Amino acid sequence: MIKFENVSKYYPTKKGRRYVFKDVNIALPTDVSIAILGPNGAGKSTLVRMLGGADYPNKGAILTNKKVSWPLGLQGGLQGSMSGRENCRFVARIHGFKNTKEIEQKVSDFAEVGAYFDEPVKSYSSGMRSRVAFGLTMAFDFDFDVLLIDELGAVGDANFRHKSHALLKSKFETTKLIMVSHSMGELRKYCQAGIVIKNENLTFFPQLEDAIKDYEDTYVTAK
Amino acid sequence: MARAALQIMRDTVHALLMRELKTRFGSSKLGYFWALAEPALQAGVMAIMFSLIGRSSLSGVAVALFVISGIMPFKAFSKTLTQLSSGISANKALFAYRQVSPIDPILTRLMIELATFFIVYIVLLGVMAWLGFDVWPQDLLALIAASLLLIILGFGIALCMSSVLLYWQDATKMLAMIMTPMFFISGVFFCATMIPAKYWFLFTWNPVFHAIELSRDAFFVSYTTPVGSWDYLAFVSLSFVTLGLMLYRVNRIRFVTL
Repeated sequence: MIKFENVSKYYPTKKGRRYVFKDVNIALPTDVSIAILGPNGAGKSTLVRMLGGADYPNKGAILTNKKVSWPLGLQGGLQGSMSGRENCRFVARIHGFKNTKEIEQKVSDFAEVGAYFDEPVKSYSSGMRSRVAFGLTMAFDFDFDVLLIDELGAVGDANFRHKSHALLKSKFETTKLIMVSHSMGELRKYCQAGIVIKNENLTFFPQLEDAIKDYEDTYVTAK
Repeated sequence: MARAALQIMRDTVHALLMRELKTRFGSSKLGYFWALAEPALQAGVMAIMFSLIGRSSLSGVAVALFVISGIMPFKAFSKTLTQLSSGISANKALFAYRQVSPIDPILTRLMIELATFFIVYIVLLGVMAWLGFDVWPQDLLALIAASLLLIILGFGIALCMSSVLLYWQDATKMLAMIMTPMFFISGVFFCATMIPAKYWFLFTWNPVFHAIELSRDAFFVSYTTPVGSWDYLAFVSLSFVTLGLMLYRVNRIRFVTL
């Protein structure tokens, strides 16, 4: 269970505070995988970042006793000036691993970026980035109860998609996803429930199809 | 595997240390060399300048040693200040991991500066001893205390700067503008006894001047500082640390969010 208590989040703009979430009170289950739906700029990534501890609400708190991953996406997580390997070492170390060799090897094997594994991440293509980012979480043997994914599949090639799909499926029993994607097909493949972001608030739907319908009714005008 | 908060911090600082050492010294093959060469060259150039105008000793101290005893603390201060101030922005991408809090890179860089300072100082003095100078400080403990207080001052101001930078990006430029004259008014190549007593007030507001005066007092038997004050140096250092920590506490979420 992930509990939101009076969560408000705004960004300062030239025209004053722009609220993304206002006084959100909701409890999300952690025994199903959840899709996050909303148009561009509604706050999907902000939500994922707050869940992952990479950002904080301006007011209120998000509470859980589950192990939630860091937000896996294209922007956060990997430091551009460090190589893929150095990023792996860093993440392994902050999670308390003394011997990082094994994890480096696992990520390298999964990511298959070859010699680029020792090049700075800023020289990677977005597909390569997502391979390494995904490989990193995988290397921790899914020690997480909830995995946060922000548009990660969108840039992968067929091979990578296939591989990550197989991996996620095999871990489904223990690890659930909270996922942002604009591809409904992908969401349907992984998620059972959904959240729609509207009116600076979150609405939870136990059935994904209901969430998708609500999202389309609210936001999709051209049918 | 549950870890205590302090353990997480220790692991994070360790990880950051490995990363920072690599970018700081590992990026060029001569990385470690420059840490040594820079103060040595500066001291050398100034020693030559003093020799050219016909001085071989200042206040009864060999010129080279006199300059080193001023340059080393000053370098430690300015490096600590600039390195620690940019610590947060240089590691921003890593705050995506909840284990990494903004104070961690600052503490990491503080450790690096401390270690670099002592190693470079010892190596430089070693070389000087090998050249035949008498380098053993008169009061080693006081010398270390003055240096530490100065580095703590740099840490405190850098903590304040980190918060100021959130609201005013150009503060870095201001700092650079202030640091250039600081080199000339902090007593790197002169000491209080060379200035008429009625002009001391122009220098004694500056805690860095106090630190360098106290360092020389501790270092050389022949020099006794007429102005250097432990109380003032300690007071200013601890005030900045306190203010810096308060500003950090108030802004701790902003460092991650913005």
